Amino acid sequence: MTTGTTAATTPNLGIDLGGLKMKNPVTVASGTFGYGAEYSQYFDIGRLGAVTTKSLSLKPRAGNKPPRLVETPAGMLNAIGLQNVGIETYLSEKLPFLRAKCATIIANIYGHSADEYVELARRIDSEGAGDAIEANLSCPNVHDARKAKGAVLVSQDPRCVEEYTRAIRAVTKLPLIVKLTPNVMDITEPALAAEAAGADALCLINTLLGLAIDAETRRPRLSNIVGGLSGPAIRPVAVKMVWDARRAVKIPIIGTGGICQADDAIEFLLAGATAVSVGSMNFRQPDAAIRVLEGIEDYLLRHEIENVSELVGAMKA
Amino acid sequence: MRYLLECEVVENDEVAPEQFRMRINAPELSRTAIAGQFCMLQVAEGLSPFLRRPMCFERIQRDHVSILYKAEGEGTRLLSKMRPGTTLNVQGPLGNGFPIDDSFERHIIVSGGIGVATFPALAEAIVRKCDVAPEVILAARSKHLILCADEFRELGCKVYIATDDGSAGEKLFASQMLEKLRPNPSCRVYVCGPMIMMKTTSDVAMAAGADCVVSLEAQMACGDGACLGCVVESKSEKEGEKMVRVCLDGPVFDTTMIDWAAHNMAYDR
Ligand SMILES: Cc1cc2nc3c(=O)[nH]c(=O)nc-3n(C[C@H](O)[C@H](O)[C@H](O)COP(=O)(O)OP(=O)(O)OC[C@H]3O[C@@H](n4cnc5c(N)ncnc54)[C@H](O)[C@@H]3O)c2cc1C
Ligand SMILES: Cc1cc2nc3c(=O)[nH]c(=O)nc-3n(C[C@H](O)[C@H](O)[C@H](O)COP(=O)(O)O)c2cc1C
Ligand code: FES
Repeated sequence: MTTGTTAATTPNLGIDLGGLKMKNPVTVASGTFGYGAEYSQYFDIGRLGAVTTKSLSLKPRAGNKPPRLVETPAGMLNAIGLQNVGIETYLSEKLPFLRAKCATIIANIYGHSADEYVELARRIDSEGAGDAIEANLSCPNVHDARKAKGAVLVSQDPRCVEEYTRAIRAVTKLPLIVKLTPNVMDITEPALAAEAAGADALCLINTLLGLAIDAETRRPRLSNIVGGLSGPAIRPVAVKMVWDARRAVKIPIIGTGGICQADDAIEFLLAGATAVSVGSMNFRQPDAAIRVLEGIEDYLLRHEIENVSELVGAMKA
Repeated sequence: MRYLLECEVVENDEVAPEQFRMRINAPELSRTAIAGQFCMLQVAEGLSPFLRRPMCFERIQRDHVSILYKAEGEGTRLLSKMRPGTTLNVQGPLGNGFPIDDSFERHIIVSGGIGVATFPALAEAIVRKCDVAPEVILAARSKHLILCADEFRELGCKVYIATDDGSAGEKLFASQMLEKLRPNPSCRVYVCGPMIMMKTTSDVAMAAGADCVVSLEAQMACGDGACLGCVVESKSEKEGEKMVRVCLDGPVFDTTMIDWAAHNMAYDR
């Protein structure tokens, strides 16, 4: 809780994420916060630095067959398969609510091809349907995102990252965030590719591929067999990837992966993230993102730091 | 309105082997919840287990709600160890609840195992709103797993007991017992239990032309409609309506809209 703040010591939480002005560095991870309305029952979502939407595709998607979730130690595996309402329903039914709440919106998009990403970005841009675009080049749970050999995601191939990013960049002036998969040998390669193609920011990380098997039945726990691991279990991996990418690129980074409380968010800032997003923790504690925000404010007061941006990359090595 | 509450555990007693009833002081919930809705409980203070556990309301009383649960895995075992006076973080009420319509002549409740947990509140609401006591089928593997029979009788319900091993009542499955009660188009049948039992019981109800609603179960993360993890397949052909969320669109569904043939029972717990 923020108590006893005086005008002189109130820290400045505002940040600039590659052109996207956020009133504080805390957003929510795509796919863990629906379209915002789901969580507005618990707190004023307009207080967040931004609301990131579920990945939007051109047409509605049904996603994978159930079961789609399994709990794992300090986290979970999911294989939702990008079920979403599609861009048109988003525009007519979800966007007005977000605007009414005065939320800053990061519209996350997913396409089957570069052309689809381009079309989605055009629609978001021309309809004023987002204050920034986040291109999800990294969903592990859709078969159509995998190439011939069965396991390649767009963002596992730096040339694809460059091609897709360049194509989207060409049709929008909105801040463009590229979201990458951690399932790579070297995160700096796709990160550099995105930067070179004109991305304004990166979002790191999407989920880590995983598999859980029921020992009794010998069946996988998910009907998709494999899924994406998220939650506190992945945090050290995510923090390191942010730190790696930070030293390779100049564009700002949204750090994501297992953030549960303010200290976790601050870890990401110290490793080099400019903003953070709270993901799976929203499921456990629906007001987690606001608690993280309040905790960051407390931390800044306690450490007498005026601007939150002073923490970015400030790990003492 | 949904709440996020720190509630006091008032009672937590073992009512049958491994089966517990917990009473929670939660006026916000008891004043707003309806039968068939559920809550999500944070079973541990630390981060393990990570996810909340869904539990429906057994009873919705003046300032309290109660839950009836089976201690089987890590989460429910932790729940079963909570002493009166413990503070429990509760999110709810969630989901849609049972429809109640006094135009039906008969109301038949069919429960399988711990699925009974959602029905005392329903029976109470039916008695209150429709002025008729539902008929109740309690089915379970064995005698010691038959719960709440006296509660239903106190509400004026006629209770039919069926066990797989014949140790109490008749040696029948729930669906066979329903057949014996001769449901007809002026009945509404309410079903909750294992998925396979809900399917076979729905088949009997539908064949008899009765209206039939089921309260489904699925692995959940958010309970709020956000994660899309808890879906089941509906009969809709539209891509955007194919998957319905048990937490938000349910847990209570008209059984005719569920695509039972698509459901893979091999994954059920
Ligand atoms: C809407 C709804 C209402 C429910 N109401 C009741 C109730 O009133 N009484 C009762 O005894 N049980 C109820 N259940 C089932 C109950 O949620 C599970 O038994 C419980 O989550 C098991 O947790 P665990 O940690 O003991 O088991 P574990 O097997 O250790 O759990 C591992 C994971 O699987 C999930 N899980 C395991 N079994 C089930 C299941 N059958 N359904 C859904 N998720 C499961 C857990 O939530 C957890 O995330 C309900 C389920 C749903 C979806
Ligand atoms: C249930 C679920 C659904 C998700 N859906 C999406 C999605 O649609 N688009 C996307 O870019 N990332 C999606 N993600 C990934 C998250 O946005 C985030 O990158 C990841 O979960 C790591 O953060 P966390 O550990 O805090 O959850 C999803 C994650 C989960 C758990
Ligand atoms: S549990 Fe998250 S959508 Fe149902």
